[in-house]
Amino acid sequence: MGVDINIRITGGAGQGVHTSGAFVSRIAVAAGYHFHSTQDYMSRIRGGRNSCSVRIMDVPARAGRAEADILLSLDPGHLPHFLPGLHPKGLALSDSPITGDTGKVTVAPLKELALSAGSPILGNMVGMGIVAYALGISSHRMDQLLALEFRGDFLEKNRSAVRLGAEWASGRVTESFQLPPAPFRPRMILAGNEALALGAVAGGCKFAAGYPMTPGSSILLGLSTDGPPLGLVFEQAEDEIAALNMAIGASYAGARSMVATSGGGFALMVEALSLAGMLETPVVIALGMRPGPATGMPTRTGQEELEFVLSAGHGEFPRMVLAPGSVEEAYALARHAMDMAEAHQVPCILLTDQYLADTAVDVDPEDLAILPVHRRIVRGNEVPRNPEGRYLRYALTESGVSPMAVPGEPGITVVADSDEHDEDGHLTEDHGIRLRMAAKRARKEEGLAADILPPVLAGPPDGEAALIGFGSTKGVIGEAREILAREGFPVVSVHLRQVWPFPSGAVGGILSRYGTALTVENNRRGQLARLIRAETGREVAGTVSRHDGLPFTPEELAREVKERLWVARSTRP
Amino acid sequence: MGGPFDTAVENAWCPGCGNFPILTAVKKALERTGKGKNEIVLVSGIGQAAKLPHYVDVNVFNGLHGRALPAALAIKMANPSLEVVVSSGDGDIYGEGGNHFVHNIRRNPDIAVFVHDNQVYGLTKGQPSPTSDPGWTGSLQRSGVISGPFPPLAVAIALGCGFVARALASDVDHTAELMFQAIAHKGFALVDILQPCVTFNKKNTYEWYGRMAYRVPPDYDPSDRQRAFALSLEWEERIPVGVLYRKERPSFEEVHPGVGNPPLHARETPEEAIRALIRKRVLTLP
Repeated sequence: MGVDINIRITGGAGQGVHTSGAFVSRIAVAAGYHFHSTQDYMSRIRGGRNSCSVRIMDVPARAGRAEADILLSLDPGHLPHFLPGLHPKGLALSDSPITGDTGKVTVAPLKELALSAGSPILGNMVGMGIVAYALGISSHRMDQLLALEFRGDFLEKNRSAVRLGAEWASGRVTESFQLPPAPFRPRMILAGNEALALGAVAGGCKFAAGYPMTPGSSILLGLSTDGPPLGLVFEQAEDEIAALNMAIGASYAGARSMVATSGGGFALMVEALSLAGMLETPVVIALGMRPGPATGMPTRTGQEELEFVLSAGHGEFPRMVLAPGSVEEAYALARHAMDMAEAHQVPCILLTDQYLADTAVDVDPEDLAILPVHRRIVRGNEVPRNPEGRYLRYALTESGVSPMAVPGEPGITVVADSDEHDEDGHLTEDHGIRLRMAAKRARKEEGLAADILPPVLAGPPDGEAALIGFGSTKGVIGEAREILAREGFPVVSVHLRQVWPFPSGAVGGILSRYGTALTVENNRRGQLARLIRAETGREVAGTVSRHDGLPFTPEELAREVKERLWVARSTRP
Repeated sequence: MGGPFDTAVENAWCPGCGNFPILTAVKKALERTGKGKNEIVLVSGIGQAAKLPHYVDVNVFNGLHGRALPAALAIKMANPSLEVVVSSGDGDIYGEGGNHFVHNIRRNPDIAVFVHDNQVYGLTKGQPSPTSDPGWTGSLQRSGVISGPFPPLAVAIALGCGFVARALASDVDHTAELMFQAIAHKGFALVDILQPCVTFNKKNTYEWYGRMAYRVPPDYDPSDRQRAFALSLEWEERIPVGVLYRKERPSFEEVHPGVGNPPLHARETPEEAIRALIRKRVLTLP
């Protein structure tokens, strides 16, 4: 076993939990290691019980771990909640007063040393000094990392807090978590939603609108930060209805456009989704899932919107739904979504969730593909005209995709109507034209089917079972597969990065090959299992579900799968 | 006939509909701008009024009920050189789209908004609209409208709209003049048009509007916000027609960082710029 240290920092909102987690991530990367960090926070501005877990590994880290090796509790009141999740040989650090099982806890004078460093808010940085000591990070390296973050007087105070923490730790804190020296590699520190926004920008997104809603807001933040240097225009909408109608308007005018939201906001966008289907305007909708119904658990994770996004919108129209499974894939699929929406002139939904949104890892910059953006707008002589010299926005074509010109193009007009319309875009109540237009829209499904991204398989081809998931469960299922292999249960993992059009052929083949197939889903009723049944006519053996608002952990998932496989083995003839 | 913006699209309005003089006025006003059909976008929602763009040979975005303004805003943001004009009904802009009406006046994009205000939902067959007079009997309020009327001009003035006018549909030339001024105004320009519905509104008829309407006097000062606000609330005795309030302020496109030339459809995504964004996030040690 190589290096695998899970560090959990807990505290109330406003105590620097997130900042500390990000700092530990930088420590890991600076030391030449990989990391995987997740956030668990409550829906409030100050206080509450939040945590950030950073897992440091010598191989790429793809999932969190339930047990913490080092627990830094910035609020001692949180210890009773978090101590049960501490490894038996783990290190728990907190300030006094501590009640309950004090024997396990190393009491550190965080507040006192923070005041010595010059500010009571530096308790978390004193903690960073202690953690850095435990990991064997030199004070010189810590000074370098702090200088990347802070300036002037505040830099000096932070350096002082970290130094006081490390000095205090000397001789008091175990040295069993020392990171062996490793070569430094330049890596990006990137969270899922940051990667998604970056991918959209790299995919040529030039217009974005949205109304803040967790966990979609950080996508909007990314778009409004990274987009403008590449000419993206962002506007905060008065509501989600406006956001998607704006994106469709901008798309009509020729801009690659997107919105980002969560389930409730997407519910408000549904009529406009149907509009995009009717107008055949390309648009990308990023949906960060959280547990519902209604407001549900705003800051927690879930995968309850799969069936919703597949059927959302009145009437029948083609769409594409992609489900990134990692930070790198969030980038790649957002880029792909911008391209596919335009290629097929359909709405494309990116299905992510709070877990992936807030998951950060170290990313090799070479893993983020930079590809030319291929626009498909017809201009000048490419604009087709009918015998009367008019451009027909909805010209009937074999593929169902009509050449798209934009308003402003000399000599022509572009007419788009939410009513059923003729080739020229003007409304019609002619049933024959209706049938031809419905068929044209439906023909686009064929082109979409040709562009399906197949599932990603990993594990032994002769495995006894398949674990099938979509979206953010990719990393957890992958690690559970490794645990199961070590324990004598060879299984394959199947990650669906595209759920619509559904890769029926590939999934049908997998069900034929593996005796036992289980879906792994963060929803209660097994929506992926239902989709597989609808699209392949085949039943999976069962669903491993977690829908309490928290992500799976690899150990827990492996344990659950093992139990199912014991049953499957015992009932096999 | 034979105007530059005429189309052969079959018209779906009732004979005598107040939309006809509005259509004539829209075409006159657009002709006066001197713009080509490819440089103009007519945007609407849903309803009989919202069919108007189909009868004008320009670019058309006929979107969802209530949602003309968000689409119009974004079209203008995407390409500010386009002349973006919204022409839709009172139910569309003041009812279903009320939130967008409020917030786009706050934004102040350079678009002209013509509201065909016939105080009734025509296409759905005679329900009261936000501007129906209290006591008026519609198909869903048999005992008469209880809610107070939505005062569009007063709301617009309260929100700081820089061009607030009322037109009388039957006075085509004056309506066209107000529309032209609204298009020429830099910023959100509202023209609320008194429009008879010959089928469902037997109270607010051509005759009634003709009797109630009066032109604001030539010496009226539209920069006086207090006076404009008082005038905008006149309704019971008589109804003022003309430019009630006018004040230039920077338009949304002028203030919004990023909106401008080139239009969004012509903006490149250079690979070097993406590389720079990626490089910015790489942790480097001194």
